[in-house]
Amino acid sequence: MTALTVFRLAAYVRSHRVFQSLLLALALLAVLHSSRAPRGEEAGVLADAAVLIVPVLAWSARSLLDTEPDRQRELSAVTVGGRGRELVAGLVAALVTCGALAAVGLAAALLLGTSARPSPGVLATGVAMHGLAALTGTALGALTSRAVVRSPALSIMGLVLGFLLMLLISASPAYWLTVPLVVWMRAANDGDLVARFPELAAVSLAWCVLALTLYAWRRLRH
Amino acid sequence: MRLSKVSFRYRRRDPFVIQGADAELAPGDIVELTGVNGAGKSTLLRLLAGLTRPTKGTIGGRPAVVGFAPDRFPTGQPFTVAAYLRHVSRMRGGARWEPWAERLHMEHLLATPLGELSKGGGHKVGLAQALMADPGLLIMDEPFAGLDAATRAVLPDLATEVAGRGGIVVVSDHQGGLRALPALRHWTVADGGLDEPSSPAPPPVPVPDELVTVTVQVPAGELPRFLARMRGEGYPAREIEESAR
Repeated sequence: MTALTVFRLAAYVRSHRVFQSLLLALALLAVLHSSRAPRGEEAGVLADAAVLIVPVLAWSARSLLDTEPDRQRELSAVTVGGRGRELVAGLVAALVTCGALAAVGLAAALLLGTSARPSPGVLATGVAMHGLAALTGTALGALTSRAVVRSPALSIMGLVLGFLLMLLISASPAYWLTVPLVVWMRAANDGDLVARFPELAAVSLAWCVLALTLYAWRRLRH
Repeated sequence: MRLSKVSFRYRRRDPFVIQGADAELAPGDIVELTGVNGAGKSTLLRLLAGLTRPTKGTIGGRPAVVGFAPDRFPTGQPFTVAAYLRHVSRMRGGARWEPWAERLHMEHLLATPLGELSKGGGHKVGLAQALMADPGLLIMDEPFAGLDAATRAVLPDLATEVAGRGGIVVVSDHQGGLRALPALRHWTVADGGLDEPSSPAPPPVPVPDELVTVTVQVPAGELPRFLARMRGEGYPAREIEESAR
């Protein structure tokens, strides 16, 4: 299964699709960190960076999963001994890609966005938020990949609307229905991000697990 | 391996593509699957390979290692032939692919990007990736289409080798490329049903010391009947292609 993950990452890099996501991420980071935030707003910078990179991560996960022709996906499933393993290998490859891009985002936030070193608690929360962003991007990208949504137009609309819906719902009292992105940012600005993080992380993880389960069900139901 | 009352449809309310298929496959079996276009041959092959689950019924006892050679190999991938086969070899736990490149006459293609392969070239890559791990179940979808004569001639031997090791070989084939094999089983798919005619294969011909090839000229209209009669008597008769006449 690791060999299949490597194969999918190699195809993603060799097809040069990875550069689309990388350029998009770099453009976003350049705009986001064009001026440093004042001292004391480190938590806000890290939360904003983790939230705003989610659509880019979803795009890259979708792009990685769609690199492989449908027929190759079938050959890979036969080769590694089952569709379940093929599915997991694809998701791991997408998560690795999202993790790498999220790490670039985190590094940019720390080096270019903040005026002071964040406290260890805020730094750890920032790292965890970027990890959750990678997982959220993987789940959203997987749900809008070609194996689930055949039409490219519907797929890209699903990705953008999915992210907007995530923002809208998380700005409402029913924020626990989705990854509470807006609550991450609000909590960071109110200074209680570290205190509220366990609750917010649990809600985020639950949504990601649900979304990935839905993806697996859609892929394996026949 | 056993298929019990296997039915399949793509969506609820769609008609069944395969309906109530019952069959048993024993180690060493070589099966030729025929049927008109759209009859459901590829669907049946996907079911056998485990790529699709039956809507009803079960498929049990599938060998652990399956090789699947598709009718159209997906060439739209950013690898050369050798790089692709190396990746598949790693997925297969380090299976050796080099001997297959030699046997399938594709050594000159190894440095070619997949996207630049001809249909036959892509087909060979599909065969090599299916064969490299010594599959216990080898499924080939139209393997003779687009292949050069030298490689076509090798395929019956490859099928016999896999079967000789105790593997099961299922081949969808319109061209009768395996008809010369003595113990060939025939399956036909028609109207969703899977059928195995009771006396399908010609009786095995005792192999004489020396085989000779004869040419017989037959009026075109009588050809199918003539070929059927010859095969009925155990001779591996076949029509020579138009271009070779």
